[in-house]
Amino acid sequence: MLLLPGMYMAADSPIHRLDPRAKMGAALVLMVLPFSVQRPLAYLVLIGVVAAVAWLARAPLKPLLRTLRTVFWLAVIMFVFYFFTTPGRPLLTLGEITVTWEGLIAGGLQVYRLCLVVIVAALLTYTTSPLQMTHGLEALLCPLARLGVPVRELGMVMTIALRFVPTFFDEMETLARAQRARGAEIGSGPPWRRLRSLVPVMVPLFVLAFRRAEDLAVAMEARGFRCSPHRTRLYCLSFTRWDGLAVLLVLGLAILVTR
Amino acid sequence: MHIRVECLTHIYAPGTPAERFALREISLEIEPGERVGILGPTGSGKSTLVQHIAGLLKPTVGQVLLDGVPAHAPTAEARARRRRVGLAFQYPEQQIFETTVFREVAFGPRNLGLNGEEVTRRVRWALETVGLDPEAFGARTPFALSGGEMRRVALASVLALLPRVLILDEPTAGLDPRGREDLLARLDAWQRETGATLVVVSHHLDEVARLVERVVVLQEGRVVADGPARALLGDGNLWRSLGLAPPPEVALLEALQQLGWPIPPECWPREELAREILRQWQKRHSQQGARSTQHAARSR
Ligand SMILES: Nc1ncnc2c1ncn2[C@@H]1O[C@H](COP(=O)(O)OP(=O)(O)OP(=O)(O)O)[C@@H](O)[C@H]1O
Ligand SMILES: [Mg+2]
Repeated sequence: MLLLPGMYMAADSPIHRLDPRAKMGAALVLMVLPFSVQRPLAYLVLIGVVAAVAWLARAPLKPLLRTLRTVFWLAVIMFVFYFFTTPGRPLLTLGEITVTWEGLIAGGLQVYRLCLVVIVAALLTYTTSPLQMTHGLEALLCPLARLGVPVRELGMVMTIALRFVPTFFDEMETLARAQRARGAEIGSGPPWRRLRSLVPVMVPLFVLAFRRAEDLAVAMEARGFRCSPHRTRLYCLSFTRWDGLAVLLVLGLAILVTR
Repeated sequence: MHIRVECLTHIYAPGTPAERFALREISLEIEPGERVGILGPTGSGKSTLVQHIAGLLKPTVGQVLLDGVPAHAPTAEARARRRRVGLAFQYPEQQIFETTVFREVAFGPRNLGLNGEEVTRRVRWALETVGLDPEAFGARTPFALSGGEMRRVALASVLALLPRVLILDEPTAGLDPRGREDLLARLDAWQRETGATLVVVSHHLDEVARLVERVVVLQEGRVVADGPARALLGDGNLWRSLGLAPPPEVALLEALQQLGWPIPPECWPREELAREILRQWQKRHSQQGARSTQHAARSR
């Protein structure tokens, strides 16, 4: 199985046990906070809080930090942009270009925000199964159902899609190897040839995916699945005292650090 | 081509919670022209091992040498060796992608850089070898074929590479008995004709018994048995260790051995076993007359 950065890992921790609605709400607040605080101390507090959550969630440090690699180039670009464009006290002058202290701080701040957002998002996906995530999302979006948006059906589509992402990647790798065994050079050469070389992988991949979709549809209908508003669930979400406490704690933190 | 697997270990997804040892310190050698069967229960690492022999996976530890050259190396020398190894994956019909059967089978030879005439020649030959008429099937779209026909097209597309080592990962899985017989007979004939090395991965011990002389048994990523097919397949314990009930002839052989009949386990397949039983029966009968048969009946 291919492991994507920030993929769900089943474990038993206080954070894993939280209700997905509470968790998603809290994560949203934690992602916005780095953009709304002003004081240096508050930056440190936020890092501390995120670290504490990671510790509570028993997140392995290395894979967690590895998720930052996905935004490495974005971080570099943002830093460079702010570093060279912010006016202020000169730090260094090279010919025409002057870089400033303020630029250094502003660039660093952007990188800090980006990193924090990515880590919080990774912690959310790490502690919440795709199934819970879609349940939570459905619950949070259910006001839209009144406006005629098919929230529950979209949720089902998302659940199924997420379930098959790892399978899809596994199959892609196997197919690439199978075609290499027939002498194919996959993903090498000039751009046009590289694109063409993907055909022997992509065509069977989609054939498999469509066949699976058909089988799945038949299997679901054979088990009596229908899109109806009266569908019940085996596992119901339950908002406990702990979830309330978690939300209150995060809101308290938000008030504290933005004051 | 000489194949040498040296202390090969393979770990899937190393360093993650999903880490999985698929192969553990496997060593074996396959001589040119040998016919080898690879057996083992589901998840024992058979497919992983044959993909290593074809140089498609990077060993975690150890190496696979093809005529002394590491199979996975990025050098031109290793690539030339890899090209002489043909591997048909498990369920090879899943890799079909072309618009016609002809083009599908021609994919491999075209990748070898052959000219059009040679490609055509090879495609026709490969389709005939797997029992499909090139005239009737060449222009059809492979996606509209039956499962068995698709399997044959996929195998033809590997044969068209004219490999010196042909590896088949469960070639007959999901075929009906007649299709299975036919395909095995054709592979057998192909091997005798070309003298290529043949490696067959299988769950079906009887089909392996017919096609190969040597059997390598994997279990949980380790080689637990390696030897002549006839000696190993007559061994009831081996069948049971693979989670299979021994076939009736092996059960009979064991029962007779328990009764003290000195039947060597190499008496395989069933015709030979029957011959041996008959021989010993006649010997006993002539030596001791009717008493021994009574004795045998009583000790039941
Ligand atoms: N792409 C992969 N990612 C992670 N683990 C894998 C992968 N492929 C195989 N494995 C694991 O490695 C082990 C060996 O797999 P392998 O496919 O070699 O078994 P096999 O003997 O061919 O089984 P089968 O008879 O079912 O085909 C299995 O436990 C399997 O779960
Ligand atoms: Mg296999």
